[in-house]
Amino acid sequence: MTLAAAIMIFVSLVLAAFAAVTLWWTMHAWRTPETLAGTRFAPPDGEQHLTFSLLLPARHEKAVLEHTVERLLRSTHEAFEIIIIVGHDDPETTEVAHRVAATAPARILVVTDHNEQKNKPRALNTALPYVRGDVVGVFDAEDQVHPLLLEHVDHAFRATGADVVQGGVQLINFHSSWYSLHNCLEYFFWFRSRLHLHAKKGFIPLGGNTVFVRSDVLREANGWDGTCLAEDCDLGVRLSSRGKKVVVAYDSTIVTREETPGSVGALLKQRTRWHQGFLQVLRKGEWRRLPNWRSRMLARYTLTSPFLQAFSGVVIPVGVAIAIWAQLPVLVALFTFLPVLPMAATLMFQIVGLHDFGREYELRIRWHHYAKLVLGAFPYALVLSTAALRAVWREYTGRRNWELTAHVGAHLPAVEGAAA
Amino acid sequence: MTVLELVKPPAPAPVPVERPKNRTDFYVAVSLTTVVLALLAWNITGFPTASDDEGTYLAQAWAVQNGKGLAHYTYWYDHPPLAWIQLAVGAWLPGLIAPSLLAVAAGRIAMLPLQAAGLLLVYVIGRRIGLPRWAAALGLLTYGLSPLFLTMGRQIYLDSFAVVWILAALALALSPSKHLWHYAAAGAAAAIGVLSKETILVILPAVLVALWQNTARSTTRTWAFGSFASGLVLVGCFYPLYALLRGELFPGEGHVSLFGAIQFQLGSRSGSGSIFEGGSGANSLLHSWMYYDSVLLIAGAVATIAGLALRRLRPVTVAGAILILVALRPGGYLPAMYVVQVLPFFALAIAGVLFYALSRLQHWWKWTAIALAVVLAAVVVAPRWYVGDRRALTANDNAAYVQAAHYLRAQPPSTIVVDDVLWLDCVNAGYAEDRVLWFYKLDLDSEVAARLPGGWRDVDYIVSSPALRQDPGTLPTVTALLRNSTVIESFGSADGVIEIRKVVKEPS
Repeated sequence: MTLAAAIMIFVSLVLAAFAAVTLWWTMHAWRTPETLAGTRFAPPDGEQHLTFSLLLPARHEKAVLEHTVERLLRSTHEAFEIIIIVGHDDPETTEVAHRVAATAPARILVVTDHNEQKNKPRALNTALPYVRGDVVGVFDAEDQVHPLLLEHVDHAFRATGADVVQGGVQLINFHSSWYSLHNCLEYFFWFRSRLHLHAKKGFIPLGGNTVFVRSDVLREANGWDGTCLAEDCDLGVRLSSRGKKVVVAYDSTIVTREETPGSVGALLKQRTRWHQGFLQVLRKGEWRRLPNWRSRMLARYTLTSPFLQAFSGVVIPVGVAIAIWAQLPVLVALFTFLPVLPMAATLMFQIVGLHDFGREYELRIRWHHYAKLVLGAFPYALVLSTAALRAVWREYTGRRNWELTAHVGAHLPAVEGAAA
Repeated sequence: MTVLELVKPPAPAPVPVERPKNRTDFYVAVSLTTVVLALLAWNITGFPTASDDEGTYLAQAWAVQNGKGLAHYTYWYDHPPLAWIQLAVGAWLPGLIAPSLLAVAAGRIAMLPLQAAGLLLVYVIGRRIGLPRWAAALGLLTYGLSPLFLTMGRQIYLDSFAVVWILAALALALSPSKHLWHYAAAGAAAAIGVLSKETILVILPAVLVALWQNTARSTTRTWAFGSFASGLVLVGCFYPLYALLRGELFPGEGHVSLFGAIQFQLGSRSGSGSIFEGGSGANSLLHSWMYYDSVLLIAGAVATIAGLALRRLRPVTVAGAILILVALRPGGYLPAMYVVQVLPFFALAIAGVLFYALSRLQHWWKWTAIALAVVLAAVVVAPRWYVGDRRALTANDNAAYVQAAHYLRAQPPSTIVVDDVLWLDCVNAGYAEDRVLWFYKLDLDSEVAARLPGGWRDVDYIVSSPALRQDPGTLPTVTALLRNSTVIESFGSADGVIEIRKVVKEPS
């Protein structure tokens, strides 16, 4: 009994510490008004010096591709080209790609990826030899890119001397389902806050799109890792380890808007892929080359945290249930409630975050959205932990193929409606 | 790598310039606190008279120290336990260093670090509501030199813990760096304050005012309130959680409960009458406070009301005003230590109003006002405080208790009925802890009554003190014991006499 109690107390303390650290970092941007001001994108100076090559891998994306390219073409920047990458086995998307390319032949190039095994990093690597711009930008086929974004990025590169600029990405269709609400908020906290901390501490897992890298730096790093399921995270880790300068800039008016996966199953697949990718990056060990101990610890912590988070999201409620029903000694039972503190505080901040999210994106948040947020917290944690378990299982049984997330364009009317 | 810093903040925020750290505030606050603390410590064992409540809380701290739960009798949620849990951390030390002291007197020494924190916090809050050094220092001294503080600040009261924590919450809510975690800590401190003495809950709005003011025109206001609420609720909920885990949250057959206790405190407790009504409990309490220090109470109440008009002072004056309103409510229960919560807010209000009044006057008007204030202080305040403080530093009101404690220590352990003050002295002297009985538990706690199957005849001695004789005839067993016992030793004189009485068991 004493041993069981000691284990309970120990596990509770570890979980509480983990949850507290995660919360501390997640709230980075809002620590003081000064830190919040420091995360904003600077207004551009109106000058344009850089040339951009925007890579747009599209695989079975005929529903959204055209719209995405149209929006990219509306960009206010003068010097950019769009390279659409399609698969040789995907005639429908290829057809759409050629059709939109014909509308702006000087701007758009269609490249065909002949790799037998298709995935995003291989598609991006296929396009790299065709790149002519100073800076490579990556977008996904379903992205809603703001016309002013390139001007901002141009200015950011010049003003900071950065090698990499990570812009903001935001899932916007929070109203679609209970999980999309949580998914949107995850993005909000990640891009609005957490990523800035990573940039500051010198270890940053980059996002999958709206990421801009100087072409020479990218070529020097041999492009993307075609075998990695989280090529974006991997690139960030490799560039961080080489001491490249990464800056993060966020402005709600020019973030790239995206949609959440269309079903819980799709979310599960996507999350499995990310988690497995994180695991691969961890095993590759590039992060060991980071210059100091602190950023190595941050790297280790960040790459393992999806698993810890998944684990604690399930174990904490179970521990509390045990504490209430199993007649533990009162003191031990009180200890099992310790991790609930940061967990409940996280939920409290998510409520505030949802309010802020609505304000920044001029979306109407109703009371039932808050209710969904609270009620959906535990089921969402279940989905994440299932994905984490799946990821571990797949990685150790050698199943490393790419499970694609399908897009139907649920964010498009939402965005149009919000913009109106 | 760095985060993008090319940003121009929307409003041109003042760039923090790295200056050599100015430590003047630190030296001023610490030296003044040291002076007040020395006055507080001097003769702490001799004055004021050890009160029954002090003995109660100290005994409960002893129960916590010795792993006997939250009280050595059934803990019935009369007060949240955090104050005596904190007391338990320090209360064992003085007795170890000076074992010959009366237990309660030794326990008082453990209050000194707490009061030091309170004094420093008064200074910090003064600075954070915009007062210059001299005014913040005046606030500290007004608080610390008041005879009321030098009397009640020495005693072991839960209110002292609560008020220090709520001062901490205020100081954190007014944090100049506006750090999110300071706000969370403010919430946690407020929760600890409430769990130290629940009545401090009424001045929570003052902390909210501070938070509201400090986050005005800030981009992080909603986050600040979320942070504060997290700290407050999450720390605060541990108390009901404790009750829930013990199955004592809701009233039920055969056990105590948190909600039952709350119902009793709010509903069944008899009021002390109106403070304006001569002869009522509340009125005589007010007179006893005024006896110690009328200056701080009157000037503080006036300054509090006047200060409500000044925005920067509002966190402090709202607290003071709420406490005044609560004291004035007709028919409510007013405990003797209530005033402990009032003092720091009154002191800060006086210093604040004085500063803002002076800063609005010009030239010789200003000098006239200063001269007037100095004369008033010298003619009205100083003589009164001199008398009060002198009493605190010289009176020896606990001699009878000390003698009784010494006498009891020399006797072989027996079954003995005492008041709360002497309980711990007996237990420390080796009396079996379940054979030393608080007098009122004999009739009010069935579990204690069960220890005496033969009723009052199972008791060997009873120590009659003023506390025990306070309400004659209300406790049948105590009345029987007093009737069937003879005085074998007595200490002190007149009203304050303490008698050791041997119980005569032969039926007469």
